[in-house]
Amino acid sequence: MSKYSVINTHVHNVDGIAKVTGRATYTFDVKLPGMLYGKILRSPHPHAKILNIDYSSALELPGVIGVVTGKDTLGVKQGIWRRFQDLCDEQILPVDKVRYIGEPVAAVAAVSEEIAEQALDLIDVQYEVLPAVYEPLDAIKKEAPELHAGFERNINVTRHIEWGNVEEAFEEAEYVREDWFKCGGQAHMCMETRAAVSSYTPDGKLTVYHSSQSPYYMQGLLAGVLGLKEGNIRVISHYVGGGFGGKFELDGAIFCSAVLSMKLHRPVKIVFTREEDFIATKRRTPMSYYVRTGVKKDGTFCAREAKVFTNGGAYTGMGATALYLTGFFHSFPYRWKGYRYDGYRVYTNTLPSTSMRGFGAPQAMWCSEQQIEWITADLGLDPIEMRRKNAHYPGYEVPGQATIASCGIDQCFDVVQKWVKEKGKLPGNRAVGISAAGFMSGGIFNWFDTPYSFSSAVVTINYDGTVELYVGAQDIGQGSNTTLAIICAEALGVRVEDIKVHSGDTEHCPADLGAWGSRQTLMAGNAVKMAAEDAKKQLLEVAYAQSGFNIVYDLDIKNRWVHAIARPERGYDYAELVKKAIRGKDGQRIIGRGHYTPHGKGMISPAYSYMLQAVEVDIDKETGKIKLVDSLTAHDCGQPINRLGLIGQLEGAFSMAAGYGYLEYMPYEDGKLMNPNLVDYKVMRATEMPDVPVAEIDTYEPEGPYGAKEAGEGLTNPTAAAIGNAIFHALGVQMKECPIRPEMIVDALKEKEEKERK
Amino acid sequence: MEKQLLKLVVNGQEYVLYISPKSLLVEVIRDHIGLTGTKRGCDTVSCGACTVMIDDMAVKSCSILAVQAEGRHITTVEGLEKNGKLAPIQKAFLDHGSYQCGFCTAGMLISCEAFLKENFTPTKEGIREGIEGNICRCTGYNSIVRAVEAVAKGDYREEGT
Amino acid sequence: MIHDFTYLKPGSLQEALSMLADHKDECKIICGGQSLLIMMRQGILVTDYLIDIKGLDELNYITYDEREGLKIGATTTHRLIEKSELVKKKCPILVEIEKKVASIQVRNWGSIAGNLAHGDAQAGDLAPSLIALGAKVKLASSKRDRIMPLEEFYTGFFENAMNNDELMVEVRVPPIQDRAATTYTKFNLIGNDQGIVGVASTVVIDQNGACKDARIVLGNSGVTPIRAKNAEKILRGKGLDDGLIAEVAEAAARDADPVSDIHASEEFRRHLIRVLTKRMVKQAWDQAAHL
Repeated sequence: MSKYSVINTHVHNVDGIAKVTGRATYTFDVKLPGMLYGKILRSPHPHAKILNIDYSSALELPGVIGVVTGKDTLGVKQGIWRRFQDLCDEQILPVDKVRYIGEPVAAVAAVSEEIAEQALDLIDVQYEVLPAVYEPLDAIKKEAPELHAGFERNINVTRHIEWGNVEEAFEEAEYVREDWFKCGGQAHMCMETRAAVSSYTPDGKLTVYHSSQSPYYMQGLLAGVLGLKEGNIRVISHYVGGGFGGKFELDGAIFCSAVLSMKLHRPVKIVFTREEDFIATKRRTPMSYYVRTGVKKDGTFCAREAKVFTNGGAYTGMGATALYLTGFFHSFPYRWKGYRYDGYRVYTNTLPSTSMRGFGAPQAMWCSEQQIEWITADLGLDPIEMRRKNAHYPGYEVPGQATIASCGIDQCFDVVQKWVKEKGKLPGNRAVGISAAGFMSGGIFNWFDTPYSFSSAVVTINYDGTVELYVGAQDIGQGSNTTLAIICAEALGVRVEDIKVHSGDTEHCPADLGAWGSRQTLMAGNAVKMAAEDAKKQLLEVAYAQSGFNIVYDLDIKNRWVHAIARPERGYDYAELVKKAIRGKDGQRIIGRGHYTPHGKGMISPAYSYMLQAVEVDIDKETGKIKLVDSLTAHDCGQPINRLGLIGQLEGAFSMAAGYGYLEYMPYEDGKLMNPNLVDYKVMRATEMPDVPVAEIDTYEPEGPYGAKEAGEGLTNPTAAAIGNAIFHALGVQMKECPIRPEMIVDALKEKEEKERK
Repeated sequence: MEKQLLKLVVNGQEYVLYISPKSLLVEVIRDHIGLTGTKRGCDTVSCGACTVMIDDMAVKSCSILAVQAEGRHITTVEGLEKNGKLAPIQKAFLDHGSYQCGFCTAGMLISCEAFLKENFTPTKEGIREGIEGNICRCTGYNSIVRAVEAVAKGDYREEGT
Repeated sequence: MIHDFTYLKPGSLQEALSMLADHKDECKIICGGQSLLIMMRQGILVTDYLIDIKGLDELNYITYDEREGLKIGATTTHRLIEKSELVKKKCPILVEIEKKVASIQVRNWGSIAGNLAHGDAQAGDLAPSLIALGAKVKLASSKRDRIMPLEEFYTGFFENAMNNDELMVEVRVPPIQDRAATTYTKFNLIGNDQGIVGVASTVVIDQNGACKDARIVLGNSGVTPIRAKNAEKILRGKGLDDGLIAEVAEAAARDADPVSDIHASEEFRRHLIRVLTKRMVKQAWDQAAHL
């Protein structure tokens, strides 16, 4: 008998009807009266000074209404790390120089898309081409061209994480191993490409429809670059076709459409083509990792040292956070006596890299979990038991970084161990690989420099008992509207069907940092719980007054039933109470308020999810083709809230993470992406997905609403490493670069055979 | 370019349009007729977000000239429901959470519907092959397969049929 | 964006051929448009006249002739071929190959001739495997018809043997001989994606169990489909053993002329050709020997 009425039950997604009937309107669909269509002219050079832009011929083309360049902007260098001005380095429409192939240089608005596109050919840009660099280790050389003034050796950001005495810890170790790894980039590849419709009106107000993960961030950032007050900017994101970490910074679509609209006083719509979405939106951070690990012969972890160079591309973006998180999660989920991480983010003339689901952790696990597997093989130890003896436990303090409250990793080992044992001996071309992982439930960081609570919520109750829930949390498909409605329903004592969620509109919703870092279930959830409990308290005050119960009796509302907890059979309908309460408040709706900002929660997050994933892989040794056959994931996300949503997040994360492991190759040549389309860039399709069963481990996280933790990103972290480990067990080869391609496997096997011959 | 008259029957309703012959079917459906449920997600006939049915066959409307669809029966996602009553596949999607961001959903529903019209006892592998032409970035496909299985099994059969 | 064109819709084959004769190099034929429209949307392909033959029902047929074999009209869709009972009976391998082409949506609208006449057909599934089946194509103009073996149809990179007033109207697959089998596979990462390379193989066995005839055709291994003739020579007249198959595979890899691109290096493509040739020849041989 569940102690909850709504939490973790089978609830339909609250946006379901709109989405399955084609009624949901995305920014992609928005049409406003008098709307123009915008197209962006992009730099063909990876590094060049902009000498002159002549768009007079474009203006003469019938149907072209206007053109903007960097000269039409305030020239503000913006960035999402607003507290650190030197990391605000991107003008989006640059004034002086371009730093990557595909960077916008001008934007045209015309009466049709076709005319706007034709106009691009009529804009003449004179460049002075500069020497360019593409790889971090080239960009840090003394003779490398400088991308941003004041950044010596093109080093954009550095991060250092250390605890314990690393040298001593290495001395204690009886076995030391060092390896170099390379982690590729990855495209977010949201089904809805970047899209924005901006409308600037003569009253000095700007309304923007944007496919966004954080309307509040957009509002704040736009205010900064356009010289407007936040209060005069409205950002609307009712339905968003995917984000995955790529849509909470200003992009070319929102910026150029806004600048055009402000100049032309007409609405302007810009929708990226799929190719533009590949070449001119930011990507997952490619990284080069050096890892040195020291352990005792019995498998006790002693020391780890990691040096990482990340390919930052042309601008900072969210790359500084990825640099930190990769270094932190590289220690996860284990206890190290001595740990040292040095990360260097380097500017190069390639597509800027930023956050993407997992935020540096998939790369960290690719390296850590594979090296750990090789160590278990070197020492003849059991892969699960060696991990188990070094794992986090509830109450563990990662020195100077985090206090772990709930932690179900140990139970995860039990579950997977059983599954692997039951698999028994597999045929020669198949093997199982495992990987542990974990992730944060939202970050404590305020580099955005918001003065507002990180999450806020308002609950109002109507006379008929229906509930309006206002949140700034953004649903981008992960189902936050539903998850928050569930929390609200549980806290208030009603059903999900009673609740209407208002989100995705800065005009009507409270500020919220938005959907990134897997923060919304914990942070917005806590705010919603607080608001709902506030509203319930106001209702119960009236109920107490009416009931005449002895003071020792507590009242509650559960499933729309107002009752004494000790006497649940005696009660009445919640709708009756609402009517009385509103009458008693001079006809005012009940309004509950809630908010949440993490205080004193360590350096990263209030709470961490944990997991252990096993993947069974079938490999064709002659061709190197990989087929995912089966999997099992033991997962600790505290109390599951939205059951359907959770399964969806787990299965979806797997498909993206597996893609990072063996499909989504993103090759660049001289700064140019070689496969900016869905024919040559391979994403997971239905035929390649195995079953992805999940075993939820029962834990309770005190920091989270009803004990909940994140379930959105953690599962993007282990799969690439698990696939690598499966290949290691099947073929005996160590894959140090991801994504793994068949040619790499065949070459590795060849090398192995040659070595064995000698 | 010279425009011409075109009669299209979409979701059982006839539309008389005046369009350029180079218009793609997806453009005419979305921009001229105004049915925006069908989406576009690529330019290389890869993603399937634009999938509609022509005479019960799933096709990618981004890769068909609108003029070629004259005289045929076109079904878009808006045509799945009848008088506000959802089709079995739509109900199954709701029950199984077979969508997240929803952008691929219109095309995915049509592919599933067309598949179910031809396959009455599909295997899981068969269903996977049936939706191979549709990319979903959010769900990992398995919940979609479960929804199709449920419909094929008869979970949503109307009373009395 | 698609460049403007004059749209022509002939009501009959005769009309289509006379339009072709009128406009020659200034026109393009569209049927299903599953390959053509991508190129037009990217502005790579520009044409003054577009002749739409999708509606020509007289070219939509699948028949069988005891002497000449399967005859498939140009506008027949992949899906109709895939689901045809006649094709399943007379040339079942063709059904299997059609199932590997692109996606269901593309197969529902795209035509067999459109696929074969498209510029990069050699990278697809049908051109190499139909060549392995000994297929012929009928080309028609307002002046005359001619029949040509499909392997002579491809003359260079994005070039074929049609004159600028000709239209492919029919594809013919000769009757399958006794003790003959054809196999086809492609190597890719996902489902039905275009093959990084493809290998089709036909093997005909004589009464003594030796190879009477063989065809090995490579896809995406050169600018046109490549008949690995040196590899075929090694097979003819011999009995099957592992050493022979390895030799044949090696020869096929040498007969190939593959490129290096982001999907595979030239060396890896040759490696794949070696592996897939070995597999396809062995499979075809086993199937033929058991007939």
